[in-house]
Amino acid sequence: MLIEQLINGITLGSIYAIVALGFTLVFGVLGIVNMGHGEIFMFGAFIGVLVTTTFGLPLWLAFLAAIIVTAFMGYLLERFALRPLRNHQGSNHLAPLISTIGVSIFLENLSHHLFGPGNHPFRTPFAEMSIEIGSVTVYLVQIVIFVISLILMAALSFWLGKTKAGKALRAVAENLETASLLGVDTKKYITLTVILASAMGGIAGILVGMAFNAVTPQMGLSMGLKGLAIIILGGMGNVKGAMVGGLILGLAETFIVVYGDSGYRDAIAFIAIIVILLVRPQGLFGQKTSDVRR
Amino acid sequence: MLAELINPYYLQVGSFMLINIILGISMYITLSTGQLSLANAGFMGIGAYTSALLTIHFSLPIPVGVVIGAIFAGLLGIVVGLPTLRLKGVFLAIVTLGFGEVIRVIFVNWESLTKGSVGLSGIPHMGRELLKTVKELGFEPKMLGLQNNQFIFMAIFLILLVIVIFVIWFFKRQNDSRIGRAFSAIKLDEQAAESMGINITYYKVLAFAQGALLSGFAGALFAHMLGYISPADFAYHKAIDILIFAVLGGSEVIWGPAFGAFFLTLLPEVLRFISEYRYMIYGVIIVVMMVVRPQGLIDLNVVKWIKRKTTRRGLKNGTGN
Amino acid sequence: MVLEIKKVSKNFGGLSALTDVSFSINKGEIFGLIGPNGAGKTTMFNLVTSIFPTSSGDIIFKGEKINELKPHLITEKGICRTFQNIRLFPQMTTVENVMVGVHSRSSSGVLKSVFRPKSQRQEEEGIKVKSQDLLKFVGLEGYEEVVAENLSYGQQRRLEIARAMASDPELLLLDEPAAGMNETETEDLFQLIKRIQQKGITVLLIEHDMPLVMNLCDRIAVLNFGVKIAEGTPKEIQDNPEVIEAYLGREEDELDA
Ligand SMILES: Nc1ncnc2c1ncn2[C@@H]1O[C@H](COP(=O)(O)OP(=O)(O)O)[C@@H](O)[C@H]1O
Ligand SMILES: [Mg+2]
Repeated sequence: MLIEQLINGITLGSIYAIVALGFTLVFGVLGIVNMGHGEIFMFGAFIGVLVTTTFGLPLWLAFLAAIIVTAFMGYLLERFALRPLRNHQGSNHLAPLISTIGVSIFLENLSHHLFGPGNHPFRTPFAEMSIEIGSVTVYLVQIVIFVISLILMAALSFWLGKTKAGKALRAVAENLETASLLGVDTKKYITLTVILASAMGGIAGILVGMAFNAVTPQMGLSMGLKGLAIIILGGMGNVKGAMVGGLILGLAETFIVVYGDSGYRDAIAFIAIIVILLVRPQGLFGQKTSDVRR
Repeated sequence: MLAELINPYYLQVGSFMLINIILGISMYITLSTGQLSLANAGFMGIGAYTSALLTIHFSLPIPVGVVIGAIFAGLLGIVVGLPTLRLKGVFLAIVTLGFGEVIRVIFVNWESLTKGSVGLSGIPHMGRELLKTVKELGFEPKMLGLQNNQFIFMAIFLILLVIVIFVIWFFKRQNDSRIGRAFSAIKLDEQAAESMGINITYYKVLAFAQGALLSGFAGALFAHMLGYISPADFAYHKAIDILIFAVLGGSEVIWGPAFGAFFLTLLPEVLRFISEYRYMIYGVIIVVMMVVRPQGLIDLNVVKWIKRKTTRRGLKNGTGN
Repeated sequence: MVLEIKKVSKNFGGLSALTDVSFSINKGEIFGLIGPNGAGKTTMFNLVTSIFPTSSGDIIFKGEKINELKPHLITEKGICRTFQNIRLFPQMTTVENVMVGVHSRSSSGVLKSVFRPKSQRQEEEGIKVKSQDLLKFVGLEGYEEVVAENLSYGQQRRLEIARAMASDPELLLLDEPAAGMNETETEDLFQLIKRIQQKGITVLLIEHDMPLVMNLCDRIAVLNFGVKIAEGTPKEIQDNPEVIEAYLGREEDELDA
């Protein structure tokens, strides 16, 4: 029982971690909280539903389609909701936040019109398959989700740490001006970041669809809010913090459903933030915001 | 004659508009210290539930319930504001958004008190209570040639109108004073403001609490105007509604969010087909505004321009006489 | 003694911006704080005005330790400053900027501000008159309604001085007030600081313009790499080989400018 819950928690947590990674990437590089990320994630899930359930095509195609569509959405978001704001600098540091809120509302309601408000089932061929180890039941779906998450996180870490493109990206994250002086094409890397983050969101969407066998237009909002909570917990722009924070939240939610009041499940993330704020306003792993020079 | 002019439906729309104007102003107040709070929908819910429960269970008069609801929301604003205001910009926005979520979840789950997601009904109705009172005093709407429900809706509208005028007056005066200067100094350069002797914590919490109080006030009025409320009335979409009043209308001057609330309440009523696509359109408006005119439609220059126009016209009329 | 700096140090992470710096300023004098770029002068201002906490050491103002107070309380005690890279409230008018400066010397709260009893109206009138007088004092008469960001550079610097003076400071901290000024503007500034001194206000001045510093200051302290290397009258400072070395070691044009 405990072990099964632990496995459930880890499965959920690894999905949260991937969603949070999308937020963290964008924040780390652009210093912007992309409020539209949750909705892009939700579109990923719907693409999965369309490909597998509506058209009856294999799962890998669903992943491919979701990645392509959400990456393109990321491109559009950057092109139309973020890039134009960078041109008139200094106007309002809240502008990108508000503009991506606009994107999120647009996408949520677009999906209402495209797919309808209800619950859409997400069928996977191995939905019912499970392995018994002693008295513990592990669903194949859970293993698939966990493995994909791990691969994704490992790939991202490798890419950021070891490849030339990843290093350039980190240089941009470190300091936009210096990077552009050093000849890094910052515009390209900013766009790439948003595309990458969005594609990860799309993959997470499919994973969530598989895990819960249900996809709704509202799931973007609630997942988005959790992703935001996680990056505050884990420290903004902190890749490891996002992974750890995601796991913590996944486990906490699973255990409150089992041992506490399931109604409050969706509030845990925020209650945690509020408590943390009282104790450690800079976040769990975050550092004090450096003082502005004068 | 009067009776034909008074259409309860229009009055209802007008009343919603007035409540939305109060909400828009609540956003503006916190923004005037440079803080983006998305908690105002949550505070609205606090005010609404507080006043509704007090009037239902303890039969308090509506005005007392409304005042207590507003004050309670304001106090909660102080409690939430003190720790969160250390956060800046984006962080504050997210945490306040999360706070709104927590409030909603509590409304849904504390069923013994709030009746869960179904919500509360049978909340004393502002208009009907008023009608009862005036009837006891021997007055009949017929004396004005009105039907009962015309009287009810008109009374609500007029009460709200007076309240809104008072609220605008209050905050315009406040803005045009030592307090207002402190607010905008903080908005323009927090650290310089602090170095010039302004207690920024005090003023930021003050603005945050005033915003909360005003949202709670609007919420309580809303509850007694409709007679029923549910958690969904105060959820994320309401927070977005309030945000867009300020984004479209503007947040430099108090007329901005007031205009935003006016316009955006009217729009779906006038253009029926819009109502279905309302939030999609809102989304596009928000993005476009941020790109084209981040300060909103009505900014300081627009106000100055209007003032110049009106005074010049005044002068012309003056010489014409 | 108005201000005493006692063995004050400040570290930013690994970097020590100030190390065991001590000096004290007498009432009514103009005290110069000079040193090459990055020596830690502005950091000293930020410590005195409590923008950063000190890493160690004490700052004593009129016999009272002030280095744990919040910045706005420091202003209330009677210390106010200008900023090296001008930090006015750019979208406010000139007179509004100064009126903000009077904040700590006025008291109307929310209710008074809204309902405006006589005491509030008088206070508000007083703030306005005082601000206009200060603008006149710094030579910005006639610019009251100009939006601050539209002023010239030199005017903005003088507006910062007026704004700081609006809090009735006993000690005024000026961070490179002559930076970016031409010769006549600098001359005006010289006269202005003299007149500030005549009002009985003590001045702590950071400045790179050596003729200005040498002619204005009663005493001078020199910082180099966060360490005080000299203190004395302008004459003593000019003759101090260590000071010359510090400046020659970095930028050649500064001392003999
Ligand atoms: N907020 C800060 N964070 C980190 N380092 C700082 C900060 N402020 C100043 N420094 C460092 O402290 C040193 C002294 O700076 P500063 O006081 O501005 O010099 P000055 O005003 O004499 O030119 C410099 O090396 C500067 O980089
Ligand atoms: Mg300096």
